[in-house]
Amino acid sequence: MSRFGESIGSTVDDFFEQRVWVVAAGITAVFALFLLRLFQLQVVEGEQHKQSSLRNSIRTVRLEAPRGEMLDREGRVLATTRPAFQLEVIPSEVRRPERTFALLGDLIDTDASGLRATVEGQRGRARFQPLALSDDLSWPSLARVEAHRYALPGIFTAALPRRHYPSGALAAHLLGTLGEISADQLRSRRYASYRAGEQVGQSGVESLLESHLRGRAGGRNVVVDVAGREVEVLDRVEPQPGESVLLTLDLDLQQEAEAAFVSDDPEAELQSGAIVALDPRTGDVLALASAPSFDPNAFPGGMDGPTWRALTNDPAKPLQNRALAGQYPPGSTHKAFVAAAGLQVGVTAPGNRIFCPGHFKLGRRTYRCWKRGGHGEVNLHEALMKSCDVYFYRTGLALGIDRAAGFLRGFGLGAPTGIVVGDESPGLVPTEAWKQRRFNERWVLGETVSAAIGQGFNLVTPIQLAVAYAALANGGNVMRPRVVLELHNRDGSVTQQPPEVVGQVPIEPEHLARVRRALWAVVNDPQGTGRRARVPGLDVAGKTGTAQVVRLEHVEDLEEHEIPRKYRDHAWFAAFAPAEDPEIVVVVLVEHGGGGGANAAPLAQRVLARWFRKRNGEPEPPPPGAPPTSSPPALEAAGAAPGGERDAG
Amino acid sequence: MRVDRGVVQNFDWWALGLVVVLLALGIGNLISATYSDASAWLSPTVRRQLVSLGIGTSVLLVAVVIDYRHLERLAPIVYLASLLLLASTLVLAPVIRGNQSWLVFGPIRLQPAELAKLGLVAALARYFHRHPPSEIRRLIDLWRPGLIVAAPVGLIILQRDMGVALLTLLIAATFLPFLRIPNRAWLAVAGTAVAILAVVWTFGLEPYQQSRILDVVDPGRDPLASGYQANQSRIAIGSGGLLGKGFLEGSQTQLRFLPTQHTDFIFSVLAEEWGLAGAATVLLLYLTLVIWGLMVARGSKDRFGALLAVGVVGILFWPAAINVAMVVGLAPVIGVPLPFFSYGGSALLSTLAAMGLLFNVSMRRYMF
Repeated sequence: MSRFGESIGSTVDDFFEQRVWVVAAGITAVFALFLLRLFQLQVVEGEQHKQSSLRNSIRTVRLEAPRGEMLDREGRVLATTRPAFQLEVIPSEVRRPERTFALLGDLIDTDASGLRATVEGQRGRARFQPLALSDDLSWPSLARVEAHRYALPGIFTAALPRRHYPSGALAAHLLGTLGEISADQLRSRRYASYRAGEQVGQSGVESLLESHLRGRAGGRNVVVDVAGREVEVLDRVEPQPGESVLLTLDLDLQQEAEAAFVSDDPEAELQSGAIVALDPRTGDVLALASAPSFDPNAFPGGMDGPTWRALTNDPAKPLQNRALAGQYPPGSTHKAFVAAAGLQVGVTAPGNRIFCPGHFKLGRRTYRCWKRGGHGEVNLHEALMKSCDVYFYRTGLALGIDRAAGFLRGFGLGAPTGIVVGDESPGLVPTEAWKQRRFNERWVLGETVSAAIGQGFNLVTPIQLAVAYAALANGGNVMRPRVVLELHNRDGSVTQQPPEVVGQVPIEPEHLARVRRALWAVVNDPQGTGRRARVPGLDVAGKTGTAQVVRLEHVEDLEEHEIPRKYRDHAWFAAFAPAEDPEIVVVVLVEHGGGGGANAAPLAQRVLARWFRKRNGEPEPPPPGAPPTSSPPALEAAGAAPGGERDAG
Repeated sequence: MRVDRGVVQNFDWWALGLVVVLLALGIGNLISATYSDASAWLSPTVRRQLVSLGIGTSVLLVAVVIDYRHLERLAPIVYLASLLLLASTLVLAPVIRGNQSWLVFGPIRLQPAELAKLGLVAALARYFHRHPPSEIRRLIDLWRPGLIVAAPVGLIILQRDMGVALLTLLIAATFLPFLRIPNRAWLAVAGTAVAILAVVWTFGLEPYQQSRILDVVDPGRDPLASGYQANQSRIAIGSGGLLGKGFLEGSQTQLRFLPTQHTDFIFSVLAEEWGLAGAATVLLLYLTLVIWGLMVARGSKDRFGALLAVGVVGILFWPAAINVAMVVGLAPVIGVPLPFFSYGGSALLSTLAAMGLLFNVSMRRYMF
């Protein structure tokens, strides 16, 4: 003990003891402060922090619903849903970024340094939040990434449903497009249940049947860890897929119609125009093609700027649906209506014969027939068959413009057909009152003359012309074009869409039958102007049309190939078959195609031939090493008709 | 070594019980903080901590059994040895998470700064024992103890471990109230401290460290980056409420929203799963232990024992205070472990050795 003797007695003094109490008090004060702080955090602010901790760990993950399918009339898929694979990275989870991004770059064929820059260039983002590197990974890339997952910590893939049109541009105008919901749409009642950023139908059937095709998104509440990995699923509401729809479209005819615009010669100029095929008995739209077309697969998921600008600035206007929105003078296809109206009124009785010297004088003006030598003496049948202009000048004058207009309206012209799958132009049926209203000018008789051959103020759209020819073909019923055949509902039931007769042509059926016989002759008589539309074994009837773009005198002395394309006439052909009891109407418009008989009729022939082979169950000839939409060999179509001659009718 | 029966009779069994309860709570809490799935109930982290606990228990026994008065003589050796180890890290230690604090010997990683706390406390206790307050009347008289403090603190700063450097400085400051320094001098001390802080802020701190300090003033400043840890910690503690979410039920903990939750932020785990009730209990256990330490100092029969006890109180109190203040958002994020709770072998060893010294002083208070 004595070793520590110096300590004995020098016990802790009063000062030390006093300071012990001071320090004890100080320490107690610090702990009291901590307890107060804990009370504040856990009791006073406890509820708020509880919410934060729930927000931290519980996420509601939206499960997108696949959109309903669109099928053609035979149940073949036109639009469906495919998984689009997203590639995501959680930056905080990435180990050895140099290697990870180098490997990832190799796997998805992307520049590794670019990937890395994307990830590391994110400011103001938490590093544990997922960042999308790609929103539509290709299958091979996905497979490679999945195979290397073990070497790619922090890299994840996720599948989202995305609209897919397996046939690409096929029927793109009719099927329509998807696009992100616009601010205006979000404000409207129709889209009350939509969220910003959602994809909605913006045109065509996609827009028309939006509420039917759209599914109901599901969701699930999951517990996630700090890396966003799902640890536990709390509950799950399955998404309900959208309902499917059976369209009236026939995939084969649609393919044929679109292929008709594609030349076998890759050097040839791109043709633009439209083809509409209807079933005249029901108004079913069997084919509705507008050329050039576009690939609607580029729309869902957002289109990049250059693609969008290329589409909208393309002078060929691929986004425009020419079948519905394009308005053109009807040209000589108009003569069928004038002929029928004339029969009804009695000015074109079958016995009436008119002499065509090749021109017609009214006052000081001379109106030419397309055939300068004249057709000689013609009756109604011959006049239609040969498309004699002089005969119809006289008929038009005898009818008068206002009386003619009444009949034309009766065929459904001059007003939208009500197809409702896009912006439809109304066309134009002029009257004296219209001209007064529109131009504040009196109608002059010469305009009646022009109107009689479809070259005046009259404008039609291809779909209107198809509906009007369908009425001619079916004995007078103006049908509303039907696009939707059946709605397939979620409960398994099917809602049929009945055909709709929206008007009656005020002309006796026997007169229409007479016109039909004349139109048969157009195609089948050796002197007919539409011989190129013949299909062996099928009674095709039809009418050629050539719509002038500029006045005849500017170009009449030029050969067709010498005229600049934009001044060339539009080529029309309106056909139906079988002539006696028509089951199909085909209307072809080729913009700046030239004469209808030479340039539009062969296209109609292709569609009709395809339809005929299909009806007879004949196999399709295998396309010679070409894509499946390439043309079948033309069936002796060309050659027989008087080729070089430009028919003005 | 002879241990009297009287000594054993005077052993503070209830205080030992306090330590055992804190250790048990610490291990239980660490199990939850590192729990991943039922197949590995005791995570590798917990296993290593249990091994450290075993070694620490032997260290505690040794520290209890050897009469502390031998330490008075040995203090310079312990102190110099700890300085040597600290200096060796600058040469030998790998850089781990930005600082150079660990000596690695195969599977053993040693943090010399932990040992340095003990060496420093022993050296200061010896100095103030040999130079009673009556000798120290002016601040200038403190230049030698000042050097004793500056050496380890300087070495720790060189390791870029600012948190531990501050901690060591504060532990040394525990002795200040027990000196007879006039009030005017206290003002000078405070002024010097402010000046040093200003210099350190400007030149000594990395931008991330400045951010952490600003985050205390304004927690919403940058919740996703520099303020993330503190923010998530506050959420964890707050969401624990009055009674907590239950063992293994803390979502913040189990889903790993808390960074370094088994070391620096271990108290958040406790507060989330056991609520105010659990956290307050642990704080009161700490307070009791620290106050008991002060009572041991007061009751010591010699000055060296009293000063040693004061130093040990500093070793216990300051890391707990800094850690809890940081975790509850009252202090910036500083990497200081919570005694008995944070994972870390060196810290556990030094804590248990310090406790051993306290028991040592306590049980020998009636020996004279």
